Amino acid sequence: MMWFAKDPVLMAASACATLPFLAMAVILIFTRQHRRVSAAISLSAITMCLLSAVYLLMTLRHAPGPVQYQWAWIISSDMIIPFGFLLDRLSLLMLTIVAVIAFLVQVYSLGYMAGDPGFSRYYAFQSLFAWAMMTMVIAPGMLQLYIFWELVGLASYLLIGFYYEKWSASQAGKKAFVMTRLGDIGFFLGIIAVLLGFGDLGILSMNEAAQAHKIAPFVVTLSSLLIFCGVVGKSAQFPLLTWLPDAMEGPTPVSALLHSATMVAAGVYMMSRIFPFFAASPDAMAVALAIGTITMLLASTMAMVTHDIKQVWAYSTVSQLGFMVMALASGGYFAGVFHLTTHAGFKALLFLCSGIFIHEFHTNDMREIGRGGGRKLTIPMVCMTVGALALAGIFPLSGFFSKEAIMGVLAGNPNKIWLLAGLLGALMTAYYSFRLIFMILFPREQTHGAEAHGSHGHDDHGHEEGHHGATFWAMAWPVMILAGITLVLGFFQKELEHYLLGAGPALHGAEAHGEGAGHGLGHYVLLFSAVSLALGGIVWAWFEFGRKKATQEGFLRRYPKVEALFANRWYMDHFYRWLVDYVVYCGFTNLFTRNDRRVIDGGIDGICRFTVGSGRVASFLQSGMLQYNLVLMVAGAGALVLFFVL
Amino acid sequence: MLMTAMEFAQFPVLSAILFSTILALLVILFIPDDRPKLIKQVSLGFAAVGLVLCLYVYFAYDTQKGGLQFVERFLWVKSLGIYHFLAVDGINVPMLFLTAVVLFTGVLTMWELEKRVKEYFALTYLLVAGVYGVFMSMDLFFIFVWYDVSLFPMYPLIAIWGSTRKEYGAMKLTLYLLAGSALILPGILYLWAVAGGNTFDLFELQRIGFDVHVQRIAFLMLYLGFGILAGVWPFHTWSPVGHVAAPTAVSMIHAGVLMKLGAYGILRVGMTLCPDGLVYWADLMALLATVGIVYGAFVGLAQTDLKYVIGYSSVSHMGIVGLGLATMTVDGINGAVFQMFSHGVMTALFFSAVGYIYDKTHTKMIPDLGGLSKTMPKASAFFIIAAFCGIGVPCMSSFWAELLVFISAVKTYPIRGILAVSGLVVSALFMLRVVQKTFYGEKNPKWEHIPDVPLFLASPRIILVGILVFFGLFPRLILDVIQSAVIPFVNSL
Repeated sequence: MMWFAKDPVLMAASACATLPFLAMAVILIFTRQHRRVSAAISLSAITMCLLSAVYLLMTLRHAPGPVQYQWAWIISSDMIIPFGFLLDRLSLLMLTIVAVIAFLVQVYSLGYMAGDPGFSRYYAFQSLFAWAMMTMVIAPGMLQLYIFWELVGLASYLLIGFYYEKWSASQAGKKAFVMTRLGDIGFFLGIIAVLLGFGDLGILSMNEAAQAHKIAPFVVTLSSLLIFCGVVGKSAQFPLLTWLPDAMEGPTPVSALLHSATMVAAGVYMMSRIFPFFAASPDAMAVALAIGTITMLLASTMAMVTHDIKQVWAYSTVSQLGFMVMALASGGYFAGVFHLTTHAGFKALLFLCSGIFIHEFHTNDMREIGRGGGRKLTIPMVCMTVGALALAGIFPLSGFFSKEAIMGVLAGNPNKIWLLAGLLGALMTAYYSFRLIFMILFPREQTHGAEAHGSHGHDDHGHEEGHHGATFWAMAWPVMILAGITLVLGFFQKELEHYLLGAGPALHGAEAHGEGAGHGLGHYVLLFSAVSLALGGIVWAWFEFGRKKATQEGFLRRYPKVEALFANRWYMDHFYRWLVDYVVYCGFTNLFTRNDRRVIDGGIDGICRFTVGSGRVASFLQSGMLQYNLVLMVAGAGALVLFFVL
Repeated sequence: MLMTAMEFAQFPVLSAILFSTILALLVILFIPDDRPKLIKQVSLGFAAVGLVLCLYVYFAYDTQKGGLQFVERFLWVKSLGIYHFLAVDGINVPMLFLTAVVLFTGVLTMWELEKRVKEYFALTYLLVAGVYGVFMSMDLFFIFVWYDVSLFPMYPLIAIWGSTRKEYGAMKLTLYLLAGSALILPGILYLWAVAGGNTFDLFELQRIGFDVHVQRIAFLMLYLGFGILAGVWPFHTWSPVGHVAAPTAVSMIHAGVLMKLGAYGILRVGMTLCPDGLVYWADLMALLATVGIVYGAFVGLAQTDLKYVIGYSSVSHMGIVGLGLATMTVDGINGAVFQMFSHGVMTALFFSAVGYIYDKTHTKMIPDLGGLSKTMPKASAFFIIAAFCGIGVPCMSSFWAELLVFISAVKTYPIRGILAVSGLVVSALFMLRVVQKTFYGEKNPKWEHIPDVPLFLASPRIILVGILVFFGLFPRLILDVIQSAVIPFVNSL
């Protein structure tokens, strides 16, 4: 064990890659009955990880190059799949984000999940989630990344379907798993394509070789596109985006984790992880840009009509992920990662605040929360407004800086349509987030029967401790910390940029391109228009939902067809339902099952019947009756004579 | 009695494993009928002895040296060239371990059996003797003999202790498997005769090197013959029906171990003796395997009986074994052997988990079940873990096997490989659907009185889960063993 103690960096990295797993195993095997012990084990594991992550970030902040450790996980012929840690600027930043958010969510859950019968199980799965995500983040090779990527999917399946007695919850978990699996098939084939076309799956060597044009361009494009399928699944991009809004069936802290630093962030993180590789293929980048834009716009429209508080944030996650993909696909490495970072903070904040409301009022419907007196809960209300301002991109919150960075990158693209789409998205984002805020702040009396839409309520958590019990503060503290982060993070843009881009010339090159267009007069025009659009969105929301005479119906009520289109997620779910019902079940399954019964079994049974039948005929011939034997003898003799004579 | 490692190495461990099962059979036959408890204890004891010996072989096998180890070889019938030839290499070491584990957990799973206990365990030991015999014999004659020994007890085991159309299932299974051995026997005799008729020794025959045309014919016969047992599409329909009809532990042994005999036979006999035949027929093998992978998953979607679902998942997973073998690469065959092991443990876990549920609820129809996780969370967890393994979740041993097979399959047969990989989505859909309908949802008042599984009855499943996760986290511990045999094997192709 000496070598272990000698290298504190290695020790810290291994702590992140083992402790939560051990915590999960111990909880599931030994302490399921002891909820306090389970929570303590899980929390101490994630605390250790957080400390390790911060330690690593501080120690290796000025390291000249990436630190890498690898051991052979399996060796098969000449293929070695390593397990190890790649500690460079990007992975350490992400590791810290994951650890911080996971830690805060676990603290928050102490309050939110108090009294839930599955408390221990919940903490076990949280540990699994944190473990999978952190080990994925520091993976040095694509296969390790893929392996833990799949485990992240497993953990979110388990947590989305946490209330498994609810049909919709287990359905949502299944949907999330299968839809992301669909994308993962592409990811997996993409990895194989890299393996066949290049032969090395190390992230650093892949990036280097692609930048130096050592890999055939065809291979780079093909594998980038295939790997991007994985991003589409995991980060809920078009057309695989509908699993994410359903995923809010899980407990709210899970949604916070899922939407900010883990599951969906995994896709964007992976894309930035192999950014130089992607960047080597302009075709793949173009496809990614288009998909990111479509996703961003579609999801924003969906968020404009729903009344489910968590669903609004879910759609906003999808659209913000679209922004990140757009940024990365236009070459804005820093802008993409920066938005990933700020978004992790304010999206976790928004979900955790919503969780307090849901916990309090037992409904997801924003109108009912408003009527129930949501604004009297000062801490979550203020914090949620901070989060919404950040989401809308208002100065001086973190979202403002990262969104400006993205707009700068988009402006650098010669085709201005992407920039216009981005600005439109910013307008819609501000509109739908403040639609929600105003509806909770300024409730209206029930005018038109509130649909049973809000009955997504949760099981009783048996929380009767009042607002100012330990339960409440366990939830309030993480929220306030996140709000603080959201307030100040933006001012560290320069430091972060310096930190991240110190890494490699490849990243610099792409960034300079984006930034060059961003400076000067154009920069201020852009800044002004983006901010005024965001403010315009808020004013628009105020006009329709905030002011005294507002009907709180929204302009879309006047176009029922459009509203239905948005509310039904552009009928994408209908399409998937049709696909599963008619193509999978009625098509292939039915066909193959019939083939099994009728053709294969039918054929074999037929042969058996023939055998038995011919046995009967033979036994009939051997019946021992003299006449038949004589007849047969004569017939046989006749046949012989005929044969010889002719 | 203390033996040093050297002395122990000369001790005929393989014969000890083989004959301990026959001894167990005899001992069980001499215990009176009215002592079922004692019969079970004796069975468990012998299973434990076998497990310990197999573990010893596993860890004592020198992967650096590779090749055949623990060799016992002497001439048995001179005129025909039949040898008593037992040995292990990297391919059958995991198979022996698998057999021992499944036998041990199978005995534990049947602890609550009440009907004709003595006959049941006697027949089980006969079955397992046959399986051990095939896995450790390196003599074609004995491979065939032990193979038939392992087939014979299936009929009474299913027809007496089974359920759901048991006579039909038993008959169908027996006829199919006998049809398989009717192809194997002429295949073996053909090769033996062409070689001059004076040796059944596998490696002497291999050194002879048969004519290409001989190889093509013999390989096809051996492939189809063994392939029926391995559940190769379209000769798979006996397997779901048979598994459904069989009692729990017989399904475990059958799907877990016996189906592997088929794949093992293709590898050990067919591919070793007829490499040119393999090259000729590999395309067909890959095609049938791919169809099996996708087809099994789709048909599994339509099933309403838990055991049918597992049966069809076996068809799909055994397709992965076939695909791996057909690639003729180190990675592919590594993956195939690894998958044989993982699938064995996984299906044993599946059937063991369903066995408990069936014992308590007396139904295995999915629509009748539902909400079981609420009433018996532990018993349900085992099935759910097996389902994750079946989906190919990482850090479970079957993930690595599938990974290796798929990588080499996409390399060797791109289209078929991609199709097989896409089958993963369907298999995820059908496993999760079963898990959802059986275990999730509201508590079902019908099953509320059922107690959760106690620790002792859960122990077989705990062992199986432990093995799956252990080799999922540390795959090298098994892959290095497998590889020590596969690399020379592929080089000799």
